[in-house]
Amino acid sequence: MALGDSIGLKEELIKKACNLAMKAHLKSPEKAYIWEKTTRSSTEAVCAFPGTWAVTDWYSRMPFGETKINIALFPSLKSIGMDELALVNEAFSSRFEQLLCNSQLEREVEKALSDRKQIVFAGHSSGGPIASLATIWFLEKYVRTNNYQKPPYCVTFGSPLAGDRIFSHALRRENWARYFIHFVTRYDIVPRVMFSPLSSIEAGLQQILLYTSSKSPYFQNESIGNSSGVTSCFMVVMRNASAVASHAACHLMGCTNLLLETVSSFIELSPYRPFGTYIFCTGNGKSVILQNPDAILQLLFYSAQLSSETEIARVVYRSLNDNLSYENDLQDCLEMQNVVHLNNLLELPLSSHANTNDEAAQLNTVLNDLGLSSRARLCLRAAGELERQKIQNQVNIDSNRDSIRKGLNEIQGYQTKCEVRKVGYYDAFKLQKDINDFNANVKRLELAGIWDEIIEMLKRCELPDGFEARKEWIELGTMFRRLVEPLDIANYYRHLKHEDTGPYMVRARPKRYRFTQRWLEHAEKMQAGSSSESCFWAEVEELRAKPFEEMKEKVVSLERRTLNWIHDDHLSRDVLFEESTFCKWWRNLPPKHQSESCIARLMNNI
Amino acid sequence: MEAEASSFECSEMLATLLASTPLLEESWKLCGQANAEAPQSYGTKQMGHVTYIAFSGIQMLAGLDPSCSNLVPIESSANGLFSSLHRHGEGEEPVMVHAGLLHLFLSFYSSPIFQNQMREITSNSKSVVFTGHSVGGTVASLSALWFLSCLQSLPSSFSVICVTFGSPMLGNESLSKAILQERWGGNFLHVVAQHDIVPRLLFAPSDSLFPYLCSFFPFWHSSMSNPSFKQLLAQCPDEMQAQFLHIVLNSLEALSAGGLNSGQGNLFWPFGSYIFCTSKGSICLDNAVSVIKMLHLMLAKSSPSSSIEDHLNYENYVGQVYWQILSSKNFQEDDLPDSSYEVGIALALQSSDITPCEAVSGPAKDCLKLAKQMGRTPSLNSANLAIALSKITPLRAQIEWYKVTCDDSDDQMGYYDSFKRRGASKKNSKINMNRHKLARFWDDVISMLEHNQLPHDFHKRSKWVNASQFYKLLVEPLDIAEYYRSGEHLKKGHYMEHGRERRYKIFDKWWRDRKVEGNPGNSRSKFASLTQDSCFWARVEEARDWLNRVRSEGDTRTQSLLWENIEKFDQYARGMVDRKEVSIDVLAKNSSYNLFVEEWKDLKSQLQLFPPHFPSLLDGGGSSSLTIL
Repeated sequence: MALGDSIGLKEELIKKACNLAMKAHLKSPEKAYIWEKTTRSSTEAVCAFPGTWAVTDWYSRMPFGETKINIALFPSLKSIGMDELALVNEAFSSRFEQLLCNSQLEREVEKALSDRKQIVFAGHSSGGPIASLATIWFLEKYVRTNNYQKPPYCVTFGSPLAGDRIFSHALRRENWARYFIHFVTRYDIVPRVMFSPLSSIEAGLQQILLYTSSKSPYFQNESIGNSSGVTSCFMVVMRNASAVASHAACHLMGCTNLLLETVSSFIELSPYRPFGTYIFCTGNGKSVILQNPDAILQLLFYSAQLSSETEIARVVYRSLNDNLSYENDLQDCLEMQNVVHLNNLLELPLSSHANTNDEAAQLNTVLNDLGLSSRARLCLRAAGELERQKIQNQVNIDSNRDSIRKGLNEIQGYQTKCEVRKVGYYDAFKLQKDINDFNANVKRLELAGIWDEIIEMLKRCELPDGFEARKEWIELGTMFRRLVEPLDIANYYRHLKHEDTGPYMVRARPKRYRFTQRWLEHAEKMQAGSSSESCFWAEVEELRAKPFEEMKEKVVSLERRTLNWIHDDHLSRDVLFEESTFCKWWRNLPPKHQSESCIARLMNNI
Repeated sequence: MEAEASSFECSEMLATLLASTPLLEESWKLCGQANAEAPQSYGTKQMGHVTYIAFSGIQMLAGLDPSCSNLVPIESSANGLFSSLHRHGEGEEPVMVHAGLLHLFLSFYSSPIFQNQMREITSNSKSVVFTGHSVGGTVASLSALWFLSCLQSLPSSFSVICVTFGSPMLGNESLSKAILQERWGGNFLHVVAQHDIVPRLLFAPSDSLFPYLCSFFPFWHSSMSNPSFKQLLAQCPDEMQAQFLHIVLNSLEALSAGGLNSGQGNLFWPFGSYIFCTSKGSICLDNAVSVIKMLHLMLAKSSPSSSIEDHLNYENYVGQVYWQILSSKNFQEDDLPDSSYEVGIALALQSSDITPCEAVSGPAKDCLKLAKQMGRTPSLNSANLAIALSKITPLRAQIEWYKVTCDDSDDQMGYYDSFKRRGASKKNSKINMNRHKLARFWDDVISMLEHNQLPHDFHKRSKWVNASQFYKLLVEPLDIAEYYRSGEHLKKGHYMEHGRERRYKIFDKWWRDRKVEGNPGNSRSKFASLTQDSCFWARVEEARDWLNRVRSEGDTRTQSLLWENIEKFDQYARGMVDRKEVSIDVLAKNSSYNLFVEEWKDLKSQLQLFPPHFPSLLDGGGSSSLTIL
């Protein structure tokens, strides 16, 4: 398959992006960005960002320059259930935010948008992360929020890493990863620098930036390219890349040695991880495409390994020049069309000599030209194996859906049986007088077991990235939460656990409910915490334990929300039974409050 | 659930990770300094939050004298410094270490300066690296073991690692097991140069070794303090070097050939992980049997002189690992197997400096395969366990239900006494069956954890900490009831000392070590649904026993001691009741606890009629005898 086809982007457009990105770098580094304004009739608009060349523009703090993402600007860049924000390189993200505030970018983007153009953001070196952030900003603002139908593309050339594993996870979950195309030449040091803490490479990085910046007096200056500072910087970068890659590989390969954990607490590992599609160029017109972020991480290390110690001087020199050769390399790749798409990592040939048939032989020459040893290939296979395992886990989890539905039906049956007696199932369950109550408790525990299993897998990232965005699971989770959480609350207050542990909501709410609530809120773009109807009873229990005067505001707030929940059928009507804990409590509130309450009519109609 | 389709060999990957970190390099740098500048002592260095302590390889030799080289039990020989290290079961050997090496450590430990420095570390750093070359490494290991034992009583997240270079073995198999049990296996990393004879020494009989040690240790020591003395080896007769190698190699060979089954008496046994460094790469193993075999196979390829010299070559080995990871050693073999696992093994062999045509390559392959626990990965095991837990939870719910019905029933005994005095009924035998099934489930969990089949933080995951705590609070009272019902206490002694299952002690520890985010500090308004001390009933039984004995006891000192104990228990129990930390079954009218309260009241009112004259414990004795009743 041709290179353009396998990534879904026209080759003309890739070339245009590359030319513009290099133009921004070489010809107009002082501008914030430049547009490729072709004819009015053109259906595309390309925008390129130049890089910046001071060390502080790369690392704004020790050790790795990372910070929490600005979640207001990028609301999707987090893990949903765990509610953990992505980390981003602070220097890059603040540069993008300033650019957004102080330039006409937003206005110009909206102009292109109103002309229904396909937008492409591009960047070379440290312009790459800006292009990535602009693309995510666009996806959040126009695609996710306003349903704009033409998602933008982001094409980078020798871009440093900019986000952590959650960053990468969130883009895959939202199905956005496919819009990011990163080109990396075999030895280019820039995509690898972020594996190292600033303290270990500061001086060397300064020299690398002087060498690669067109504004610098040392641009492509040979004496810098061959200096010992650059050599030792290259070695430090590779050593850190090896630490990150082998640490990841140990986990991919299922290493059980306890030493792994001890060692991890003694070393500082870079948080940065690749995202999107990577295209590695061999330097002789061949290219390797892959999407699996674990595999890309391994390739970033292994493709720059030396084949022998004597190569070091040559490779170090190339590691700088490879950052400036993208136009030529891309041209070669597009002409040769010798492309290998690594989407079946499990079947990768392990030996570099295997030449059973033409196809395998072609694959092997490309992998060899990228310098991939048997060790490297084993790591790629391990990445493929993990991906397979995640998919298999999802299949296993999916097979639980029927038993969850069955369990939910039984609890619904329990609720109906209670209703017949004019008792809410919350109150009946809290008393635990009847064998039905006991049986419902067993069902509750069984369901909790299944859900806790899913939550555990999510916490350990053992399910595919997209799991938390799957409609059928969000719906099932919401149903489960609304029906079963009241029983957990009943159990909690029945055993008076709040007296030694504290309020249910603060200290005891199981993750299976916190997670499923966040799934719904993220999918529906609701405000965090706004879908808390399943905790109705916990709020009632806390309110009725305290004097009304102290709790007045909270009572009013609960009443207002209760009215909506009942109206939307998010809360079952058995809470309104005459003898329910809720009604008994409410009728003991001061009469003046009752008469002015928004639920007065509802309560008097019972 | 199906087994995993493919697996990977990771002994080499772990070694690569270790080589990519500064850990080996920094440790060795300091060891080299300690060798040169601090003979018979140690050096320390703080780097960021990490403190390094390096023991010099040059130490007094007295410890290697045949008279000191026997194994001694660590419990009795080190005055409880290593309180956590005890044998697993009664049938096993006690935990033992090399007497001379222990003595060496104790001589460091007894210095106030050393103890002060250790105290400072806990306040100044977040992590500590104990390291040492040669015999210094064994001192580092014992220091780390002692330090880990101390940390247990502190709620901290302090990191400890011990990195030794070419160190002799330290203790027996029970030591190795005890370390695994404490989950400290991951805190020890032993670096071994491929031909270095020192780590293999102690597998040979000590008396046959002694003359050689007397010649070679001085050589090693002088070369450690000044590398130019390495040339002196030439003065050592070749014959002698060859005999030395021969003795050690033969012992290792006999050991390997014997199958290395567990429980082989007075043998030294490795613990922690071993990283083997060769001129071609490195591999890291943590399976003790594989380690012994690999120690043998690599030594089998050594020449006499390199087996002596390699003990001094750590500088080179540590220096070259970096180049080894930077270059992609390509594979020479033409037809590689297609299985990822087999290729991984082949690569690990290459890094072990063993070529496929050599005689040792077959056994080495087997040895690597043995090291990998072929089975499911820890995370898959834990996923399956979670499913098993959700299936077993209904059994626990039935016991809960049983408790409620007993507590509500007319005979007012509470579930403890109901179970203790139960008759033969279907319901009772079902509850007893559930108790057994739950016990088996939890014992399996613990055994998997101790065999390293579960994720490293398994025992910290709140799901398991909470589930085990709930199980303990609910079911341990039934175990106690069964113990006293069947009269076990008459045969073995009281439950607390002699009958308590190990699992409950482990769960106590999990619960103690869990992360608690603040304390709401509310007091209870009602009685707890489960008594918060799961051993409450065992204490009741013991107190009732004291009550009986105090009546018939003749010796006044014993009597006053019993009296004091009962009073202590009474206070404790009242405290529990006042704080409402007991469940209502404790207060049931016919419960054992209520019986105790009644009997105790009777006894005291009788005593008010005849006030006792307890002799003070301090004045040393009672001539007056006291008779109650």
